[in-house]
Amino acid sequence: MKKQTKLLIALILLILAAYFTYNYMYQDHRDIKTEEAKITVSASELTAYFTDNKSEEILNNTVQVSGVITEIDSKSLTLDDSVLCSFDAEVQGVNLNDKITIKGRCIGYDDLFEIAKLDQSTIIK
Amino acid sequence: MKKIIIALLCIFSGFNSMNAQDKFITKTGVINFEASVPSFEEVNAKNENVSAILKSTGEFASLALMKGFRFKVALMEEHFNENYAETSKFPKTTFRGNIEDFDLSQLGENEKTYTVKGVITMHGVDKSIEVPASIKMVEDTVYLSTTFVLKPGDFDIEIPSVVSSKIAEKINVSANFMLKSKS
Repeated sequence: MKKQTKLLIALILLILAAYFTYNYMYQDHRDIKTEEAKITVSASELTAYFTDNKSEEILNNTVQVSGVITEIDSKSLTLDDSVLCSFDAEVQGVNLNDKITIKGRCIGYDDLFEIAKLDQSTIIK
Repeated sequence: MKKIIIALLCIFSGFNSMNAQDKFITKTGVINFEASVPSFEEVNAKNENVSAILKSTGEFASLALMKGFRFKVALMEEHFNENYAETSKFPKTTFRGNIEDFDLSQLGENEKTYTVKGVITMHGVDKSIEVPASIKMVEDTVYLSTTFVLKPGDFDIEIPSVVSSKIAEKINVSANFMLKSKS
């Protein structure tokens, strides 16, 4: 009986360990869509974070950016010529010069075009 | 007086060549890398927001934001960002170089293979590379695609021994750019 109890405890521990290991290894991706934005700014204010060397405050964080659409691509929009917001699916129902607010994950600053970039964007309004 | 005229001529000819110089650009190029080892979890990441500029002279520059690489497994992405590529410290990887024997007027709808020579800067390390690239042009758009192999060790990226059996030593990189004309 005692031996059986020990075995049972060992088995339960093993299952628990496997469960937690599995959950750790295959944890879910962040869901940018439901994350709350760390900052809410205009497109030019966002690029200023990089030119003012404050990038660590927003890099890899969810941000909400407002601006006027200056370029439309199939899966991305550019706001005020300074922030490129990319989407996981095609963007529909937007027009050039629309004023728009977008939430996304800030992935960094592109020196080639002097723009900040967001991915996993969603349109807020 | 002569000197001034010569100087002016130089400046104007400079302007002229700048006007004639077409540029092809993209902000949404795709880079994929794959470091899978058979029978282990697939190690694969994709960045769909890579910038690139191609000048009619054959000069080519590209920039990939490292945080933009997305993995299937979230934990892998975390390890890539925090432990291996250290993407907060080194947020971008760049390439600057030239396409050898490039002549814009020779481009057509049939793919041709060129050699691209230049320097990759990743994880704070510069490395010269020479890779083949297929290039074609359809209407005003230049399509450039390339595949090559990089070794993490060449860029001072250390893979701890615990996981090194699960990550290939040679990383297959493929890049695809659809560069639109912009004068």
